[in-house]
Amino acid sequence: MEISALIARFDEMVDNALFWLGDHAAFLFDFFRVVLEGLYDGALWLLELPPFYVVALAAGLLGWRVVGRGFGLGIAVALLACAAMGLWPETMSTLALVIAASIIALAVSLPLGVLAGLMPRLDRALTPVLDLIQTLPPYIYLLPSIALLGYGPATALVATVIVAMPPAIRLTSLGIRQTPHEFIELGRATGVTPAQMFFKIRLPFAVPSIMAGINQSLMMAFGMVVIAGIVGSGGLGETIYGAIRTLDIATSIDASIAIVILTMMLDRLTQGAARPRKGARK
Amino acid sequence: MTQADTSDVLIDCRSVWKVFGDRNAEAIRAITERGLTKTEILQEYNCVVGVSDATLQVRRGEIFCIMGLSGSGKSTLIRLLNRLIEPSLGKVLVKGQDIATLDAAALRQMRARHIGMVFQSVALLPQRNVLENAAFGLEVQGVPRDERNRAAEAALAKVGLSDWTARYPSELSGGMQQRVGLARALTSDPEIILMDEPFSALDPLIRRQLQDEFRQLTKDLGKSAVFITHDLDEAIRIGDRIAIMKDGVIIQTGTAEEIVMNPADQYVADFVAGISRLHLIKAHSVMIPAEQWQGSVDGLPRCSPEADIDALIGQITETGSDAIAVEDAGKLVGIVTIRNLLLGVRGDADATPAAAA
Repeated sequence: MEISALIARFDEMVDNALFWLGDHAAFLFDFFRVVLEGLYDGALWLLELPPFYVVALAAGLLGWRVVGRGFGLGIAVALLACAAMGLWPETMSTLALVIAASIIALAVSLPLGVLAGLMPRLDRALTPVLDLIQTLPPYIYLLPSIALLGYGPATALVATVIVAMPPAIRLTSLGIRQTPHEFIELGRATGVTPAQMFFKIRLPFAVPSIMAGINQSLMMAFGMVVIAGIVGSGGLGETIYGAIRTLDIATSIDASIAIVILTMMLDRLTQGAARPRKGARK
Repeated sequence: MTQADTSDVLIDCRSVWKVFGDRNAEAIRAITERGLTKTEILQEYNCVVGVSDATLQVRRGEIFCIMGLSGSGKSTLIRLLNRLIEPSLGKVLVKGQDIATLDAAALRQMRARHIGMVFQSVALLPQRNVLENAAFGLEVQGVPRDERNRAAEAALAKVGLSDWTARYPSELSGGMQQRVGLARALTSDPEIILMDEPFSALDPLIRRQLQDEFRQLTKDLGKSAVFITHDLDEAIRIGDRIAIMKDGVIIQTGTAEEIVMNPADQYVADFVAGISRLHLIKAHSVMIPAEQWQGSVDGLPRCSPEADIDALIGQITETGSDAIAVEDAGKLVGIVTIRNLLLGVRGDADATPAAAA
């Protein structure tokens, strides 16, 4: 058989597989859709429950406590600016998307990362998969999801979850693997059980690396959530996509500023939470 | 050497070998069947013999030092004693029990309750304060917080760190960190403490101080210890008995005095050459039989057989006498002359008695 025919055959098989999944596993994807949208709606409902100034104030107080007074004041003002630009509902819906996607991504990638850290063979098997996920252009993930889940936030969530998982898996695995040898020996000589070895020795040493992984996953999620505007994710991504189509430069810049504000807020907050407590430094 | 009552032997290490390398099983067979040497094993099987045919006994209440330079296998040997490393060949009995036969749970129990360990790197958990570090051993045994904190406080008090319980390891000096390491080992109240070069990274003054404190504390608490060091002075200061290791082999075991007076080979002799004899050598090693002393015994100053040369020199210079009578429980057992003392200082007291004055 000729090469081109082989490739045509392969493409056909991929299409058929997707159609088959769409026909035969529709109930499964409907279920996914309900779960994903439920999570998203829940997060959005919580964020839109209080008026915008209350959310800005709460974020400011959190920022003050975790990072510092200047930062707290800064994000409170910045969030108010988002509302002033008339982008408050979009900003909150983007935040809800990122939160929902990150919760799912971390629920999968943290345990997976821990397992990979404890089992070198699993780690070796996962590495090429993660490489693949991270090298493919991120909007590739939108296509199969739109075929199976349709237009809307659920599709955006799935693509975002896929993109957000690799950093958390990698850095969690790394953190678990990098327990200093003398502490492993201390544990063994003290007579710890395998569970104690994990929770009392390996995990505390891995926390900074795991927190860095969570932070990186959040950043990836932000990037993807904006791209997912194409598939009707709602939020700032869709605002920007719409502005691009109508060449509305002013609106696209407003929305970009709102995205930068959100991204910086979550980045600094998670980094601040990851900093070791007083005296715990070596 | 007299054989102690077997119930008093806490660690009995019998002809233990450790061979590292991918083909260690074949290498071990070659050692047992063909008696290959270390170098032959390295050449034929590309395996390193870490410990070779090591036999030692640690008795109750004894501080047993293992002295050797880096690469001599001493750190491997101490890890064989609590099975952090599995022996390739031979047996290790702790309190009469072959530890190779223990299952995972029983081995954890053995390590948690009977064998404490202190490391050169100290290995204090940086996220925990001093008290929590000291209580770690009891924590993993599931002892309630109040009880384990009380035990940890008591142990920290013994090493003089009562005021530092709430501090974190990074706030402590190296010497203090190692005290916490020792307190952590003591908190679980084990009979045996394995000390893996605990003071090697400390500066000399602090090291001296900790050596003395450690010996005092171990004796006061009636613990037994195996103490690894690369420093012969340290081994002599701390150890009741010393084993000298070279290239994985224990080349001599004995008290400091035995080793200094009768080195097993040139290697040991070179090692002990620079060691001061003043506090090591006792009257019973340098004395001559009383019959060989022509003068009167009555006017001589008295000393016990355990008096060291330094004390004897003190007595001679103070009294102006030419000799000292050695008495054990009121009975005359020998005489030490000035000539014996001088030879003792030089370290060849053995050659003396025949030509006494």
